[in-house]
Amino acid sequence: MRKLTKTYILILLILILRPGHVSSQITTSPYSIFGLGYLESNSIGPSKAMGGTSLAFLSGRSINSMNPASYRGIDSLLSIFEIGVFGKYTIYSTKQENQSLLNANLKYMVMGFRIAPWLATSFGFSPYSSVGYTINTTSPVEGTNLEYPKTFSGEGGVNQVYVGGSVNLIKNLSVGFNAAYLFGNITHRESSTVFNYTLEDATYISNFNFDYGLNYQLDIKKWKYNIGLTYGSSKKLKTKNVTTIETDYVTEVLKSRKYKYSLPQNIGAGFAVSKGFFRAGADYEWSNWEVAEFTNSYLRTRNSSRYSFGVEFPSLGLNKGTSKMVLYRFGAEYRESYMIIDNMPINYGAVTFGAGIPLGGFLSVINVSLELGQNGTTRKDLFRERFVTLNLDLALKDVWFKKRRYN
Amino acid sequence: MKGIGVGKKGRIILSFFVFGIILISSCTKTNEFTIGKDFVESQTRLQVIDTFSVDLSTVLLDSVVTSSQNIAYVGQYEDNIFGSINCNSYFDLAYESFSELDVKAVYDSSAFILYYTDYNYGDTTAMMSISIHRLTEKIVPYDKTYLFNTSSFHYESQVTGTVSFYPVPHSSDTAVSIPVNSLGEELFNLIRDKDEKVSTQEWFTDYLKGFVLTSGTTNNKALLGFKASSERLVMKIYYHLDKEEPEKKEITIKMGEATHQFNNVKYDFTNTPLYNIKMEKNEVPSTETGNKVFMQGLIGLIPKLRFSSLQDILAADRWEILKAELIIEPVQFSYDLFSLPDSLYIYKTDKENRRTILNDDDSKPMIASFEFDKYLPENNRYTFNITSYINQELYDAYVDSQNGLMIGLNENKLESSFERLLVEGKHPPVKLRIYYLSY
Repeated sequence: MRKLTKTYILILLILILRPGHVSSQITTSPYSIFGLGYLESNSIGPSKAMGGTSLAFLSGRSINSMNPASYRGIDSLLSIFEIGVFGKYTIYSTKQENQSLLNANLKYMVMGFRIAPWLATSFGFSPYSSVGYTINTTSPVEGTNLEYPKTFSGEGGVNQVYVGGSVNLIKNLSVGFNAAYLFGNITHRESSTVFNYTLEDATYISNFNFDYGLNYQLDIKKWKYNIGLTYGSSKKLKTKNVTTIETDYVTEVLKSRKYKYSLPQNIGAGFAVSKGFFRAGADYEWSNWEVAEFTNSYLRTRNSSRYSFGVEFPSLGLNKGTSKMVLYRFGAEYRESYMIIDNMPINYGAVTFGAGIPLGGFLSVINVSLELGQNGTTRKDLFRERFVTLNLDLALKDVWFKKRRYN
Repeated sequence: MKGIGVGKKGRIILSFFVFGIILISSCTKTNEFTIGKDFVESQTRLQVIDTFSVDLSTVLLDSVVTSSQNIAYVGQYEDNIFGSINCNSYFDLAYESFSELDVKAVYDSSAFILYYTDYNYGDTTAMMSISIHRLTEKIVPYDKTYLFNTSSFHYESQVTGTVSFYPVPHSSDTAVSIPVNSLGEELFNLIRDKDEKVSTQEWFTDYLKGFVLTSGTTNNKALLGFKASSERLVMKIYYHLDKEEPEKKEITIKMGEATHQFNNVKYDFTNTPLYNIKMEKNEVPSTETGNKVFMQGLIGLIPKLRFSSLQDILAADRWEILKAELIIEPVQFSYDLFSLPDSLYIYKTDKENRRTILNDDDSKPMIASFEFDKYLPENNRYTFNITSYINQELYDAYVDSQNGLMIGLNENKLESSFERLLVEGKHPPVKLRIYYLSY
């Protein structure tokens, strides 16, 4: 194995072994106080610039872990290593006021390569959901007419480490699976610096989860038509809760609370067309969140839906097809999230733009995308988030069997 | 062995990514973020209770050490709150080998010289009268070190010297001199004649056993504190050399050992709310003393507080005490004449009224400063943060109601001042204010 490839794997392992450091501060949304937190999109690299559209796309320039059957597209000679980071600026608005936050972090690391002509694999790390909020408020000092400042904060989330594979059943038809280990902890805190106490409620979450995918390609003249289907069954998550109260004088572990967390049944379908360096696609995903139960009394769940489309086209002119070719992308996404807060559904919409810029040689690419969107509403006493996210994805390709070929 | 497409550039970008993450992830500013406060569900409640009953009593200490305090109190004062106080101060003189007197030395006069301190008690504008008497027994400290406000030694009823004057307290250069001419002459003659009485330390203290300063003949209205150190409490013998141009000379005899100097304090609580308190019954509840409790330094009056209903908080299910404050208010108008102590100390105590000073979290004695509200005198108070103490008392889920706290001066002030405080016990009561978190 190439030296550099080994380095990537090492970095990946280090990060996986320190998941808390990777996933903390993925989000700064007060909406992440609910349930499992803010559900992260699994889209990677180029897809991020195309509204997250990826269900029918094959892996190739980039790994597409949203549909494990897509690994078929990984070139037989190359290994792909991708690392994604983001910076997000969000303006939170209520009817009365605006506040803003900036956050940034590592988002994912994935790798993929082909093991045999009929079998390709991918593994990696990415967040499934994230919790990150700090809400400063005041609380009454009961028995007086005074109030004291109190801070509610939360962090953590559910991470996933997956190993997946895709198998070519017949020409143009592949099926695949991702076996993921979900783990992490969600910590909610209530604290006061005036009276120096912290009530910390940490829930450790873990379980295995399987996703399945299918991809079929139809070639008509120079056009390729792809259909992608995905399925994930519902799953209860194992939880272990520790509640701790800490004051200047004591630290006491309290009787655990019961929290229920589960993953919903999930179905997705995508369609894509491509010709040469042009491709376009659309996705629909549906998750059966309605049956999930959460403990916050403001929160009600509904089945969630996601719609997206995206287009990718090459720079025109001289650079087309050369190692200097830039790929441009755009797309849009609309999500009806599983959250209904105070009887108001929380919906998410974004438009995306981006480009894949070749790095040095023609194999490695830096994918840049900008996502402009909004989440939530200012109706009732809710708040709306308007955000700009800059995603950077570095897709490093390495010749996998080079040594063998030249030895 | 360079990989295709991943050259130096790739590695630079990778490092850039890693550094970028580290730098940027620290820039989320969240300490002022308030959006979302409608969705938080508090699992804790902060409650305040200040209705714990605080049982108050006044304790009279068996004794207060008064030796080695560098202060000699003398005089008397009386009011109908703290009763009458009469203070005598004992000391002896240091022996030194007296140098031979000139044959032409002629005795003139002699006096004890007293210097004012800043410590006084009572009406210092009135005329004062102080007398000095010779002791008929030597001053022998307990355990070679301690003498108490209750200690006394026999002295001659006959006055050795006496003086009446208008005090000039706080004055460092004015002194009070008590003429002791006949004693001075006697001593002068002994020195001149090289009598064996003044030849050694032993002979000298056998001869001059010591002195006591007492209130003189007139009715004093104040207690004056004088400096009591070998430099500042002295007896002087004035003489002159009988020449054509008479030359004035003096002999200075300094105060003896500090451990031999002490203040004897007599008090009389008749006609005061404290009339019931006695050495044998040295604790009276505030209900018997007009719902007030008393504190005064050299007398040894100390307020004691017990929290008989503290265990009630144990009945609550899940709680933590975050803060416990003890709020003590002086009786209004009780400090017009006598300024209140600047700071009060707090002691742990038990059934036997033993005291241990209560320290704060930094192991320094806990102090409550007087908070003075110019416009709202009802806000004048001392506040102690006794959270540690209360948590300790509740630690084993049992509260010994015999234990309690005492409020007083620090040991030094207790032993060297008459600072006093009248604590209100009912309107309003002494408050134990507990902030506790239930969850």
